[in-house]
Amino acid sequence: MAMKTSEEKFTDRVDKGIHDSFMRSAVSSAQERFQSRRLLAAQELGNWEDWRSHGEEIRQHVLENLDYYLYELSDNVAKRGGHVYFAQTAEEATSYIQNVVEKKKAKKIVKSKSMVTEEIDLNAGLEKMGCEVIETDLGEYILQVDDHDPPSHIVVPALHKNKEQIRDVFKKNQGYTKTEKPEELALHARQKLRHEYLTADIGITGCNFAIAETGSITLVTNEGNADLVAALPKTQITVMGMERLVPTFEEMEVLVSLLTRSAVGQKLTSYITTLTGPREEGDVDGPEEFHLVIVDNGRSDILGGEFQSILQCIRCAACVNACPVYRQVGGHSYGSIYSGPVGAVLSPLLGGYDDYKELPYASTLCGACTEACPVKIPLHELLHKHRQVIVEKEGRAPISEKILMKAFGLGASSPALYSIGSKMASPAMSLITQGNKISKGPGPLKTWTESREFPAPNKYRFRDWFNNRSKGEEQ
Amino acid sequence: MKVTLFATCLVDMFQADVGKAVVEVLERLGCEIDFPDSQICCGQPSYNSGYVEETKNAMKKMITTFEHAEYVVSPSGSCAYMFKEYPHVFKGDPVWEPKAKALADRTYEFTEFIVDVLGVEDVGAKLEGKATFHTSCHMTRLLGVKQAPMKLLSHVNGLEFTELPGKERCCGFGGTFSVKMGDISEQMVDEKVCNVEETDANILVGADAGCLMNIGGRIDRKGKSIKVMHIAEVLNSK
Amino acid sequence: MNGVIQNREAFLGKIAHRLERERKTNIKRPEWNYQPQDAVLKNATQEELVEVLKEQCKNIHTDFVLTNSANLPHSLKEVVNGFGGGSVVTWKDERFAQYGLSQLMNEDWPQEGVDLHVWNHTKKEENIEKASHANVGITISDITLAESGTVVLFSSKDKGRTVSFLPATSIIIVPKSSIVPRMTQAARIIREKVKSGELVASCINFITGPSNSADIEMILVIGVHGPIKATYIVVDDI
Repeated sequence: MAMKTSEEKFTDRVDKGIHDSFMRSAVSSAQERFQSRRLLAAQELGNWEDWRSHGEEIRQHVLENLDYYLYELSDNVAKRGGHVYFAQTAEEATSYIQNVVEKKKAKKIVKSKSMVTEEIDLNAGLEKMGCEVIETDLGEYILQVDDHDPPSHIVVPALHKNKEQIRDVFKKNQGYTKTEKPEELALHARQKLRHEYLTADIGITGCNFAIAETGSITLVTNEGNADLVAALPKTQITVMGMERLVPTFEEMEVLVSLLTRSAVGQKLTSYITTLTGPREEGDVDGPEEFHLVIVDNGRSDILGGEFQSILQCIRCAACVNACPVYRQVGGHSYGSIYSGPVGAVLSPLLGGYDDYKELPYASTLCGACTEACPVKIPLHELLHKHRQVIVEKEGRAPISEKILMKAFGLGASSPALYSIGSKMASPAMSLITQGNKISKGPGPLKTWTESREFPAPNKYRFRDWFNNRSKGEEQ
Repeated sequence: MKVTLFATCLVDMFQADVGKAVVEVLERLGCEIDFPDSQICCGQPSYNSGYVEETKNAMKKMITTFEHAEYVVSPSGSCAYMFKEYPHVFKGDPVWEPKAKALADRTYEFTEFIVDVLGVEDVGAKLEGKATFHTSCHMTRLLGVKQAPMKLLSHVNGLEFTELPGKERCCGFGGTFSVKMGDISEQMVDEKVCNVEETDANILVGADAGCLMNIGGRIDRKGKSIKVMHIAEVLNSK
Repeated sequence: MNGVIQNREAFLGKIAHRLERERKTNIKRPEWNYQPQDAVLKNATQEELVEVLKEQCKNIHTDFVLTNSANLPHSLKEVVNGFGGGSVVTWKDERFAQYGLSQLMNEDWPQEGVDLHVWNHTKKEENIEKASHANVGITISDITLAESGTVVLFSSKDKGRTVSFLPATSIIIVPKSSIVPRMTQAARIIREKVKSGELVASCINFITGPSNSADIEMILVIGVHGPIKATYIVVDDI
C-alpha cells in the first residue's frame, strides 16, 4: 500500500463513505468510545494541559535540533552494533531493505504495524522480489488477507469492517470454519501468526520513538506482535520517519504516556518495548543483525516552513477520533493512509496538491482536532494555511470561487457597495422566496438548499431598524 | 456604559430580530448602544477560504470602524473570534498590527460581555419551554467562552434546560464549507438535528447566527416543530 | 563491532539547510518549562503504591496476589496450578533462590510432574522451542510502575525476552521494593545507569497485563499474540 489508497475522485470517495452505513455507525461509536476514554485518561492526571505543553516543547526542541539528535542516535545505534541507513527517498529506503533481504536470502518476512513502511510502499517492493510479507497487527492482518484493503484509521486500521465481514474474509481466503466471535477470529489469527513468527527470516518493525542518547527504538502495542517480530527472526529491520525521536528515556516516557492516553485512553498499552542494537553476546532471542532505516521522503521539505509543526505528530489519531468530518465520511474518503485532520494536513505535504488538494477543505475549522492533539499541533490553523497556499501561491482555486470571493472582498470593504447589495438582497431574492424562506437557491445556494431552507433576507435590515429607532421611529 | 455593537452581516441581513434583542437586553442592563454604520463583515467567508490577502481590506475597514469603541460586543462567538484573529493576520505590519491588537483586546461576545464585564447572570428574562443549547465551536474552543451562556440560561424563569448529546460536535456549518462540501455538511447537520430531537426540547438555543441558520434550516426542511432562538432572543423574552 | 552508517552527512546537511543554519554538533540539554510527570503519586508511601497497583490490576485484566516471602512458594504454586500447571519456563535468575523458591522449583515441581525449563543460553534454540510450547512463563519485575500496573523486565542472556511472550500465561513476581509511582521513575533509573556508563539492556519490556486487541469492532479480546492471562504476585517483604 503506498500513501495513496485510491484512484477515485474525492467526491466519489466521499459519496461512497456517506452511503456506507456500517462503516459510519462503526466510526461514530468508535469515536465516542475513544473520545470518552481519552478525556477520562486526561482528566485522571489533573494537569493535562501541562502534559500537552511538555509534549509540545519536547517535540519542538527535537525538530529544531533534528540533525544533532539524528547524529547522536545513529552513532549510538552503530556503537551497539546496529547498522543505520539514512534514506532521502522512498526508493532509497526500499532498495536498501531489498539489499538486506537479498543478502540474507530471506523468503519470509513478518512485519509489525508501521505507517512509514506503508508510505514508502515497502510490501510491494518486497513481494516483487518473491518474498512473503506478513502483517502481524490483527487489524493489518485482516486487511492483508482481504486482498490488501486499505486502512481507514491510523490506530484501528480495519475499523470499517464488521466481524461478519472479517469472518467471511478468513473463510474465503483461509478456509476458516468458526464463527464471527472476535475471540475466535483473534485465536485464528494467533495460531496462523505464531507459526509465521517462528519461521520468518526477517522481522520489520516501525518505530514509535527512537532514543538518541542510547540508540534505542521504542515499540508500542497492545497485542505484543511487535515484540515477537523483533525477538524471533534472525534479522530485524526498523523503519522510522526521521522526526520520530526523543533525546533520552525521560522524554520517551512523557511522549509514550501522551500517546497511549490519547490513542486508546490507556495509562500505558500492554507492551512498550525499548530495543537497543542486536542481541547481546550470549543472548538466545533477539536479532543477530539490526538495521535502522531513517526515512525522509519529503519530511525535510516541511522543516523550516509554515507547516513544520505537523512533524510534531506522534500518530495517536486523537484528532481523527475528534473530527466531525471523518465521522461522516470515514478514512477511505481521504484517499491516503493518513486520514482525518492529520491526514488532511500531511497528505498534501508528502503527496502533493494534485492528489490531495480537496482535503484541507474537508473541515469546518471547528478546532476539535487542535483541542484533542496531545502535542498541541494547531491542526485547524494548518488546514487554513493549506487553503491560503492553494489560493494564493498555487492559484488552484476554481474561477467561480475567485470571482465570488473578489465580489465578497469588495462588498465587505465598501460600505456603499454593501449598502446597495444588502438592500437589494431582499427584492432580488423575492422571486425565489416563499414565505420567509428559500427552498431552491441558485448558484452557491443550490448546495445549501438541497438539504436545508435558507432564510430570506430581511425586508428591513437590522441597521435600518436601528437607525430609524435612533431617529425615534420605532418599527 | 457605552457599548459599540458589531451586529455581524448575517444578523444585519437575515436576522434583524436577533440584533433588536441584543440592543434591548443591553439597554435594559444600562448600556448605551452605538452602531457604527460603516460596519460590514468580519471577513471570515473569504479569509477561511484561503483568500487572506484579499480579505485584508475588509478587515482594515472593520478596524477603522471600531477604532474608537470602548467595548465592542457581538452576538456571534465566531465573528468576535475573527476580530481576535486580526493581530495574527497583520503580524509584523507596523501600522495595522497594533490597531488590530487594540480592537481584539476590546472585543467581547454578547454573553461573555454580560457575565464577565457587566457581572450579571440574571437578566430577568422569562420564557416557558424546554430548551437545549448548541455550543458553537469557535465560541467555545477558539474564543473560550463556555460558561457564560449556561449561567445566563439557568436564570431564565420558566425555562427547563436539557443538555444536548454530542454538544461539542460541529453542526456542519463552517461558513463556505456548508456549500463547498454540501454533502458532508448535510450529514453533519442531520446528526445534529437528530441529537436535538433526542432531547425532546421544543426550543434550540444558540449564540451564533451561522450555526443557527444551518441547524434551523435543516429543522425547517424536515418539518420539525422545534423553535430556533438566538440566546439574545431568549434573554429578551418576558 | 560497530555497525555501518550510510548517507548520514548529506541527509543531515539537508536538514540543517532547511532549518537555515549550520549543522549542530553540540547542544545543551534543555531545561523544560513543564514537568507534570512529577506530580503523579507524589509522596505516596510504598503501602499506598501497592494499593494503587492493586486497583490498576482490575483495569488491565490482571490477577493481583499479595503475599510475603514465607508464603511465596505456596502462592506461586497455587497460581501455576490455577493456570493448569503443565510446563513452566523461567529465567535463570538467582533471585528465585533468594526468594526461597529453590525447593519448589527444583524438588516439588519435578516430583509433581510440572515440566520446568530454566532458560539456559548454552542450549540456544531449545529455549525458544520450550517457551513456545510452555503453559506458564515466570519472570521477576525489575521495576514496577504503580500508576499503570506495569512490570519492567530487563533482558540478558539468562533472562530471555520471549519468556514473557511465548507461553500461554504469564506470572510476574513483583518485589514490593521494586514499585515506583510511574514510568517517570523507571526512565530516570535507566538514564542514571546510562550516565554511569552501564550499557542499557538490549531489550527492556514495559509489560502491562496480558496481550489484547480491540481491532475487531472495537471489542476487547484478551490474549492475541502474547499471553492470554497474567498474574502479578506482589511480595510484601522483599
